[in-house]
Amino acid sequence: MASVPLVDDLVAALGAGAVKAEPLDRILFSKDAGATRGEVRAVVFPSDAAGVAAAIAVARKHGLPVVARGAGTGLAGGAVPADPAVLIVTMRMNRIEVDAANRTAWVGPGVINLDLSRHTAPLHLHFAPDPSSQAACTIGGNVANNSGGPHCLAEGTTSNHVLAVEYVDGEGQVRVAGGPAPDPTGLDVRGVLVGSEGTLGIIIRVLVRLTPDAPAVRTMLFAFPEVAGAAATVSGVIAAGVVPAALEMMDRPLIRAVENFVHAGLPVDAAAVLLAEVTGHPVGIAAEADLIVATAKRNGAFDVRVAADQAERDLLWKARKSAFGAIAQIAPDYYLHDVVVPRTRLVETLEAIYEIARRYDLLVLNTIHAGDGNLHPKFVYDAADLDQARRVKEASNEVVRLAIAAGGALSGEHGIGLEKRDLMPLSFSAVDLDAQARLREAFDPDRCFNPGSMLPAGSRCFDGHTAPRDPM
Amino acid sequence: MTALRTTVARLFGRFAADVEGAPPAEFTFAPSSAEDAAALLDFASEHRMTVLPWGGGTHQCGPPPAPDVVVSTSALGGIDWHPDDLTVVVGAGIPLATLEARLAERGQSAVLPENPGAATVGGVIAAGASAWRRLRFGPTRDRILEVVAATGDGRVIRGGGQVVKNVSGYDLPRLYTGSLGSLGVITRVCLKLWPTGAATATVAMDDPARALAIAQRPQAILQTPGRVSVYLAGTEAEVEAQVAALGGSATPGLTWPDRPLGEVAASLRVPPSLVPDAVERIGAHDFVAAHGVGEVLVAGSLAVDTVTGWRDWAESHGGALVITRSPAGFTLDPWGTPPATLDLERRIKAAFDPIGVMVPGRLPGGI
Repeated sequence: MASVPLVDDLVAALGAGAVKAEPLDRILFSKDAGATRGEVRAVVFPSDAAGVAAAIAVARKHGLPVVARGAGTGLAGGAVPADPAVLIVTMRMNRIEVDAANRTAWVGPGVINLDLSRHTAPLHLHFAPDPSSQAACTIGGNVANNSGGPHCLAEGTTSNHVLAVEYVDGEGQVRVAGGPAPDPTGLDVRGVLVGSEGTLGIIIRVLVRLTPDAPAVRTMLFAFPEVAGAAATVSGVIAAGVVPAALEMMDRPLIRAVENFVHAGLPVDAAAVLLAEVTGHPVGIAAEADLIVATAKRNGAFDVRVAADQAERDLLWKARKSAFGAIAQIAPDYYLHDVVVPRTRLVETLEAIYEIARRYDLLVLNTIHAGDGNLHPKFVYDAADLDQARRVKEASNEVVRLAIAAGGALSGEHGIGLEKRDLMPLSFSAVDLDAQARLREAFDPDRCFNPGSMLPAGSRCFDGHTAPRDPM
Repeated sequence: MTALRTTVARLFGRFAADVEGAPPAEFTFAPSSAEDAAALLDFASEHRMTVLPWGGGTHQCGPPPAPDVVVSTSALGGIDWHPDDLTVVVGAGIPLATLEARLAERGQSAVLPENPGAATVGGVIAAGASAWRRLRFGPTRDRILEVVAATGDGRVIRGGGQVVKNVSGYDLPRLYTGSLGSLGVITRVCLKLWPTGAATATVAMDDPARALAIAQRPQAILQTPGRVSVYLAGTEAEVEAQVAALGGSATPGLTWPDRPLGEVAASLRVPPSLVPDAVERIGAHDFVAAHGVGEVLVAGSLAVDTVTGWRDWAESHGGALVITRSPAGFTLDPWGTPPATLDLERRIKAAFDPIGVMVPGRLPGGI
């Protein structure tokens, strides 16, 4: 293959073992777990700050932006270039340094979420955010997307668990925002970096808070003849002053798909199941569990199962976290949403989603972080069937508008990326988006990082005043 | 100034206000909407008049400002409570005491600083002040779901949303928390709430390490001279069981200490494991130490050398010492060594306050 100046420069800067640019590599890394594909000119695997800075410098020399990528499990195209780019894969930055006395750890962005909790398990500590993809997704990706997971109902999302972020900026400078002590002085730069989807710099290290394992856990599964009963149970539990560790809902189509896949003994005749978990002091959780069981029964639960031991608990969670694998049995493709509504509006939202699916003649399956009001409707389809694909797109549009009209949000935990970028004006005014664009410009004046992602084109009201990108 | 005075009176005379405790200024206004606040700030930017947003005046930090214009949040009211969603949308000028009294009707709390005095919701958020209960519920910044603010150049902007989970766009609610008015006037926020628990108790103990090891998710573990208090909340049975395990003498309810008072007052911030060390260094001065959190408030007739010694020690461990009160002539910078991201913070401030009228010089590094 003919020599490519960009690749030659990257190899010279990072070494041949840290650069991939064969046509197959460029295709493999051109998308994440979402639906959008971008153009990748080269993929680099730096192992430290110097490597990251070198990759940025070479990309800039060639007039290209850089895009960060962890494990590529993102669902919104956040790791997919909008314009041709150099992809920086963070997987080789995977050190873990635990400070047990302070219950914190400095963690490389390439560390797998579940590996971190396994690493700290002997200390009876864990990293609280637990996205369903936790066996594959990275801490860097979690920070970039401010990821959630079932247990963020009580524990909060990633931002609540990040004390400091070390990153490389467009000039190749290493910067640290935040620190190990409470309330670092100055503006909360750390808070802005979390959830910034790789648009402000490349994260090279994160100081995370570790959470002590709860002394007692109780996991329960309830089956309901109506979706409304499950939703009313969620509202009833919260209104009674209990915030469980997790409150997860699955609807009938999903229950059937999952049961066929993992054989967890799920009640396939239920319209909805609710998975509830309480953690904490043994005496406290006993009272909370009683309250949840009573609330569920009052709302029509016909099957109540309490996990007797860790194995049963694991099986119930496996059922919940296998949703994606299960869907693959039904159709080759699915379009996944991540909308949020106030939790009191779950039932009406879900019924409206069923109505939309009926109208477009589509199958929709739902997993719902019910306690948070975060719905993941999945329209399953075959992308080869162009008419079906078009109907999915239109139905999806309606789902998003429905959630926003109910006072909700575009995305609860997956991020905006390329896939929801152009929907941002549904949530925010032109002035709001301009403020976001100005903030981005303060971090990345030269538009080095994932330009074109997250904010729609033209967000910056006075784009003409900003310096054009290096035309090289 | 006379011509300007006439113009200001014509444009904004209806917002003129007398605000108790606010520093003297050319103009003092209490706008009643975000749009009116923005119009004021637009005018201030155009005429390069410096602005100090003012809530209850309880959490002042940084060098004392000498503003041309004081913008009081007292007319920015409204409480729109959604108890079943555990959220509340609240005007910046609402006093904490008013909000918490309301939320307590159904056993909920926004977990904002205890014993608030005249503090307002907007004020404590701008100050980034947290409750002692942050050991259990995290700092205030973890509960700001949405912020509406008037920027220094008169734009009304909104970030976040009124749901408990949201990743659309940059986290402006967190950026505004602790920004000390430097990015504009916070006019409204949406807060995440927590249930407060049916039973509460305060347990007096001797040994903070034992308290930290035994107590399950306590609300706070505070040490004051001669006393360690463990604050518990939960079901009655749980609180009873925890009291028995801790073995100290318990009183019902949560009795919070007052902030230490003195000629010089400071907030020492260190990694949590260093709190016992900090307490030892503080010696005979009045203090409240938050175990498990890392903050120690200290006050007294503190000498510059003493404070400098504590500051150097805290900064060498990645912490800080912030002076919150000092007499005239006290020579130390209130913040200490500026953050490593100072140039970036300067650019961020300029994105929201391009002319630089919002309390210039108040943030660390004189931004």
